[in-house]
Order: sequence, then C-alpha cells, then structure tokens
Amino acid sequence: MPILNLLYENRDVQNIENLDVYEAHGGYQGLRRAVTLERQAVIDEIKTSGLRGRGGAGFPTWIKWNGLPKNFDKPHYIICNADEGEPGTYKDRELLLKLPHLLVEGMIVAGYACCGTAGYIYIRGEYVEPAWQIRKAIDQAYKQGYLGKNILGIEGFNFDLYVHMGAGSYECGEESALMSSLMGERGNPRLKFPHAPLPVIEGVWKSPTLVNNVETYCAATWIAKNSGAEYAKYGTERSKGSKIISVSGHVAKPANYEIELGTPLMELLKIAGGITGGKLKAVIPGGSSVQIRTAEQCEKINMDYESCSANGTLLGSGGFMAFNDKTDIVVLMRRTAEFYMHESCGKCTPCREGTRWIYKVLDRITSGAGRQGDIELLLDICSQIDGRSYCALGDAAAWPIVGAIKAFREEFEYWITHKRSPIGEDAVPPVPVVVNPLLTLTPA
Amino acid sequence: MAESETSNIREPLPAPAKERRFSAQAIAELEEIASHYPERKAACLPALWIAQREYEGYLPPPAIQEVADRLGLSYAEVEGVATFYTMYNLRKRGRHHLEVCTCLTCAVKGAYEVVHRLEKELGIHVGQTTADGEFTLSEAECLDFCGAATVMQVGDKYFTQLTPENVKQVIDQLRNSADYTPTKLADSLVKLLIPGSSETGGGSFAPKDLVNPAGPML
Repeated sequence: MPILNLLYENRDVQNIENLDVYEAHGGYQGLRRAVTLERQAVIDEIKTSGLRGRGGAGFPTWIKWNGLPKNFDKPHYIICNADEGEPGTYKDRELLLKLPHLLVEGMIVAGYACCGTAGYIYIRGEYVEPAWQIRKAIDQAYKQGYLGKNILGIEGFNFDLYVHMGAGSYECGEESALMSSLMGERGNPRLKFPHAPLPVIEGVWKSPTLVNNVETYCAATWIAKNSGAEYAKYGTERSKGSKIISVSGHVAKPANYEIELGTPLMELLKIAGGITGGKLKAVIPGGSSVQIRTAEQCEKINMDYESCSANGTLLGSGGFMAFNDKTDIVVLMRRTAEFYMHESCGKCTPCREGTRWIYKVLDRITSGAGRQGDIELLLDICSQIDGRSYCALGDAAAWPIVGAIKAFREEFEYWITHKRSPIGEDAVPPVPVVVNPLLTLTPA
Repeated sequence: MAESETSNIREPLPAPAKERRFSAQAIAELEEIASHYPERKAACLPALWIAQREYEGYLPPPAIQEVADRLGLSYAEVEGVATFYTMYNLRKRGRHHLEVCTCLTCAVKGAYEVVHRLEKELGIHVGQTTADGEFTLSEAECLDFCGAATVMQVGDKYFTQLTPENVKQVIDQLRNSADYTPTKLADSLVKLLIPGSSETGGGSFAPKDLVNPAGPML
C-alpha cells in the first residue's frame, strides 16, 4: 500500500491532542515498553528499525543515539528540531498541531535511552498555534507523571522538557545554528566534525546533545511501541518505514500524506489528486533545496532516499511541490534564489556573497537584461558555493539552480535570447513588480 | 554641527537612555524562563520577546539596553541577536502586521496578486505602514503551510487559501479586532515558555472573532 499511516494512525481521532484520548488509543505504551528494556536495548530497537533522520539529511538515527556517552557524568540534552522552514514542507506543523503527545513521548523515550537530563523543543516563532498544543501536551504529561522526577515511578529517571521559541530564521533549522540560537546567540552555524567535536560529545553548553527532527522522534515512539523489526517490515532495503510527504503546488488535493518509502512518485501524485491547470511539467520532490525534475524524469523516481539520489535529486524533508506547464522555471528559480539570499546567515563568504550573486544574475535574466554567458556564470558561482560553505545552506542554495539549468536549460536560453518568458502572458509565478527594491524587504 | 550628506563620519551614537519598562510580572516571567537553561545568556531570545511586548511591539534601543542589563550581557551582543531574527521588530509596526508568504508554492498559487490587491486596498507599498498606523504590509519567506497557499501571518494567526477576492474580508475583520497585534504575538511567545500556562488560558489561542474567508483555519 502506498499510503501507510503509522504515525498518522490516530491523526483524525477527535481530541487526540488531549492526553486521555491519546492514552485511550495506545498512547505512552511505547514509553512504558521502553522502560522495561535496558537503555542499550532501546537504541538497538532503533538500529533494527533502520530509521533515518527525517529532517532532510537521512542520517541513521541510531548512530546519533548510540553516540552519546552512556553515563550521567554530564547533563545530556535532548533537542527536537521543530524549526521547520524548508519551502514546501509542512509535515512537522501538522504533527505538532494534531499529535503533540507523539513527539513528547518520543523525546522521553530518547531521554531514557540516551541518559538525557533535559529536553528542549525548538519551535519556529511563526508556529504559535502548533506550539500551544505542545505546551498543553507537556503540561498534561507533567501532571500525569510522564515528565519530571522519578518518571513512571522509576527511581532516578528524571527528565524535564521545555519549549523554546525561535524568532524567524531558516538557518536555525541547521543543527549547529539551532544550538547557537538555543544558547541565546545569533543563529550562526559552527565548525563541524572533524574540526570540532560532534554534538553528541560536545553540543549545547559543552554537553552531549542529541538533535533530531519532529518526525524522527514521532517514529521513535512508534518503534518503541511496536518494535524495530515491525518498522523495518515497511519500505525498501535501505529506506525503512514511512515518510510524511507534504504535497503542495498545482495539485488537486494538497495535504500531508504518509507513504511507505519506495512509493513511485507518480503514484503519490495520483493520490494527491493529480495536476491542476494543465499538464505536469516539473516536480521538486524534497523541498526547495533539492533539484527540480522534469515530468519525464519523474516517471523513474520512487520516493525513497536511494532512488531519489540515483535520479539526481534528493528526498530531503519531503516537501513535494508539483508544477503544471504554465510554470516559468526561471522565475521560480529567481524566487528560490531570493529565499536563500534572504536566509543566508552571513557568516561565511561563499554563501553570503554567492547567494546574492545568484539572485542578481537571475533577476537580471528575468527582467529582460540577460546576457549571453549568464548560464555559465550561474554554474560557475554555484560551483564556488557548493561544498565550500560552513553549513548545508550554501549547498542548498546552489543545488536547485544547477538542477534547474540541467533540466530546463532551453528555458534559461529563451529568456536570455528573447528577453521574455517562454510560457507567455499567463506564466506563474509572475515576475514581481518591484516599485522600490529597498521596500520589498521587511523593514527591520 | 550639520553634517554633509555624503560624509561617512558621524558623531558616535549616544548611549540609549536608561529606561525600565519590565513590569513585576515580566521580571518574574524572565526569571522563570532563565531557570530553564544552565546559562542566563540562553534567555536572550525569550527576554527580547518580553521586551517586544513591554515596549509596544518593537525594540527601540532602550529595550535592547534593558534586556542586556537584566541578563548581564553587552548592548552589542543583544543588538546582534535582535537584528539577526526577522520577527524582532526594530521599528514600530502598524497595529496589524500583514506578512504575506510569497515563497515558492505561494508564488505560483498567486501570492503576488494577493500582495498587489492588499497594496491597492491599503494604499501602501510592501514595506510601508498606513498613515493611520493600522496596517504594515510585508512579504514573508516561507511560512511553511504550503498546502494552504496563499498564507498570511497576522500576529499569532495564519490566514490560509487567500485570493485577491477574499483578502479584503480579512482586512475588514482586522480593522475591528483588538487581537492579532505585534504585542499579542510577543505575549503568546512568552507565555508558551512558561510551564503550566496552557491551564491558565494563556495566549489568544482559539480564534475568537475572526473567520478565515476560505473555510476553517487549521
């Protein structure tokens, strides 16, 4: 079955965000089962499940969990990355809003398995409504004895969970920038392994730190309840289990769909009601950071980590955007470049300068002043950002542009030669009318 | 002495006037939040939210100074944080700050038409505030509710599936609403951090008086 509601099993149950309803539907059974096991056995369950990080990178979850020191010498921090910001992705929003206890339970399980002392849920500042559900869930869990001191009556199992609200920054979804932000600094990324210790050894406040995405913790809850072997029954050989895909764009039924990994892309598109307003032109399968694919290329893609990368794109965070044949890819890429220009934190030069240059060149092309050689110029700029920035934001700014030039080069050439859109008058998105370029940015 | 307009040399800025606006309740909230972290500095973001609430929805220099003093940080450090994040307002906003998402999905689903209709309706351009101080209009980067494009954030609320036709309905409702202001947003963001606040009914969570023109808000 392409649709596989593991995490979403109880999504549509009335009032599932309340603890009593959640418990009536098997809630906190995962935690109860986990605490009967040794800490290492819980991590082994995660290993057996084959769960990979759902935030975008797809890193095996158990390696992170296993990496934290197995003692209580220092405080261990369990952090949830709920700073969802990837254009096209809104899966975490729904999980926070409708299934807050699934996340809270997953974090307590992680707290148990990794000797955690405190947890923080870093939620993006815009998500006020979802955050209230989390606040409510935490308050209820404290009352019921799932959080606090001697959880479930187990001597010495103490775990506190706090909410931390961001303040508007895409960059803070990056692991090390998130840690900077949590410690009250600007959201700049830090040096990474091997130039600095891994977060699981030295993360926030120089203590071992586990950072996972919302969906990853929710999946951990499912695994704790139903066992890792059960989870590994689903998916492909190397991409196990289910993945929530946020479908948006020109589709009839945009929504979050939880699918079995390995589902063909075209089948997902069919589930989402198919393309509206024309024929399928292109798909971005994993959020704005990944490469756009043409309709023809989409035929071959399955929604799992391996198939996506074999076809020149990535599964990413599951922000699936489909576009019909009225879409002007060059203008779309101009908007993508604008996003990364705005969100670059400014710490390292390739990304800070490069994202601006990509935007400027694309803006020149779409304002009808493109020059011969601009495509090569774009590729050159991208090659100088990719792999040369502090964090993956630089790569994420370069990949979609390179991908779009590879897939739709003739449209870039058309813009440069004819100084107008190859689609014609009703192309979307329209080239924005900029009255005063200084005014289009949010006034600080 | 009058400066030449092209001169790059200017007098050093005067230190911001010492002002104390944190109420007793705000100080209690700050201390509670600071106790969640092993270091006081980590309360910087929450403290700025408190300041944004206490200083009428934005952060003038005295507000930054007050946060710095209360956390034992330097002015520059706090200003560095405040200028990094887009949700901290360094200048005063209108009573309702309309932030229309124009990122990828919203852009292809007609977000620019919504923006242009709002500009016409309010008689301002993006980035400006109406003369009566009611509305500020901004473009926002992805608000991450792409399935419900076009999305607009006003205070602590998202409006979804907006079109040039139905956006006026939102404006008309907002004109008569005391909620969804920058101050209310800051208040929500502070209360969210306080344990137990969901029980005391903190925050303006349930949409009380506003309807989403395209159907129920999620």
